[in-house]
Amino acid sequence: MLNNITLGQYYPANSTVHRMDPRMKIVLLVGFIVAVFMAKTLWAFIPVVAFVFAAARLSSLPPMLLIKGLKPLRIILILTFVMNLFFLQGETVLLELGFITIKKEPLLTAILYAVRLMLLVMGSSILTLTTAPVTLTDGLERLLSPLRVIKFPAHEMAMMMTIALRFIPTLLEEADKIMKAQTARGADFESGNLLKRAKAMIPLLVPLFVSAFRRAGDLAMAMEARCYHGGEGRTRLHVLKMHRRDYLALVITCALIALVAVI
Amino acid sequence: MQLILEHVTHTYQPGSPFQSRAIEDVNLEVHEGEFLALIGHTGSGKSTLAQHFNGLLKPTSGRVLLDGRDIHEKGYDKKEVRRNIGLVFQYPEHQLFDETVEKDVGFGPRNLGLSPEEVKERVQEALLKVGMRYEDVAAKSPFELSGGQMRRVALAGVIAMRPKVLVLDEPIAGLDPLGREELMGMIKQLHLDGTTVVMVSHSMDDVARYATRAAVMDHGKLVMTGTPEEIFMQQEKLVKMGLDVPQVCRLGAMLRENGIPFPENIYREEQALEALRSLLGKEDKDAQ
Repeated sequence: MLNNITLGQYYPANSTVHRMDPRMKIVLLVGFIVAVFMAKTLWAFIPVVAFVFAAARLSSLPPMLLIKGLKPLRIILILTFVMNLFFLQGETVLLELGFITIKKEPLLTAILYAVRLMLLVMGSSILTLTTAPVTLTDGLERLLSPLRVIKFPAHEMAMMMTIALRFIPTLLEEADKIMKAQTARGADFESGNLLKRAKAMIPLLVPLFVSAFRRAGDLAMAMEARCYHGGEGRTRLHVLKMHRRDYLALVITCALIALVAVI
Repeated sequence: MQLILEHVTHTYQPGSPFQSRAIEDVNLEVHEGEFLALIGHTGSGKSTLAQHFNGLLKPTSGRVLLDGRDIHEKGYDKKEVRRNIGLVFQYPEHQLFDETVEKDVGFGPRNLGLSPEEVKERVQEALLKVGMRYEDVAAKSPFELSGGQMRRVALAGVIAMRPKVLVLDEPIAGLDPLGREELMGMIKQLHLDGTTVVMVSHSMDDVARYATRAAVMDHGKLVMTGTPEEIFMQQEKLVKMGLDVPQVCRLGAMLRENGIPFPENIYREEQALEALRSLLGKEDKDAQ
């Protein structure tokens, strides 16, 4: 019942993008986002779109997976598109149908915003699909570790994220099981109005919270039993290392930003 | 009540890289009034199979027939299926949620749309069947009960639906010996009272003691069905699948290896006692 969530779901494969250093991938994603927001004209979007396609190709992800990842976005997409289209000011009238007037400038802006949103989601999906969650938080921790100078708890934050990510599938499975168990007792999660449906969630949420707290307690105990005491002096099993492909990707992304800035 | 699984195959997450076939071409009929045990190694597909009985999982291919009608047919009311076929999951106490035991046990009957009086009557009856007194526990929070009591309340929550077929997925997992004994006694009583029972179990001794028929799963396929006697006679085959036989069967095999003519078709403790008595009796006579 609950297995159609793509964002944050690792897709195991052995591609160039999969093998890249997670730190570099995070930096590149930030660079990519900068490029997406710098692009102001339709022309400027061409290299950005090409970049996403190239990354998708190099990551050997099935294209359908990326497209499916956009599905939860459809309401926001349509809403922003319609809002932009009708509430922005413009001069050149393209079409007049009764009380509906479509003008050129708002239409362009609406398309730009929609494309921008889709590119952002696709870009970050490529990161999360090609990087195992633990590797991702590992990379994040290393990237943020210089901030320790200003007492930023980089390790603790990364650990919390790792744990949270680690438990998403577990809790989903648990939620699925509880949902089935309540369905077996005649519960109905799918029909009725909003209020009725919200009320129907109680038999699912209460046991889910109880079990999450139980698991949290067990985990804390298990970590303490193995002498966990925070990040101080911890060595790592997998030492991250940059390769040539990482630097090459960095150069390409810089070129992309430069190109977008020029156009 | 006739329940038939016809060529049931189930694949989890088909089309994704995580695709896995859990059960394959299972044909199984649940006879009315029987106590059917589903045996199999961890990961053999027993739990997946159990979830097909009441339509929680839809077969990737194949049909589940209840009184001759496919339960996944368009327009078949799923609630009707769930009223007739109760399913108790593994660790059912993890599904308790309501403020009081009474409300929690009454959840199923309320979903069936029964009147408050009838719900109360069913709650009382169901609690009694799991060996609890309504007066003692009804007003308590299910979360202040002990583990074993929570399990029983959860079981009562399904019994309160008055299912004709009760499917139990490892009902005694994680209980202490006394708790197991008590719970199995209750399930046996339910069976004697006319409920058809399907039980997924790891304990061969319980299968020997309670089941009237057993089905063995291996790697998603149904490999054997028959009476416990027929199943346990094939000790070697079971061991090859990583399964066990009841202690009595192992004892019998050891005795035979040592030249003692202990009959092969014995799998229950009472039978073993009887057989040993007659063997010893013979020896006494021989000695005289």
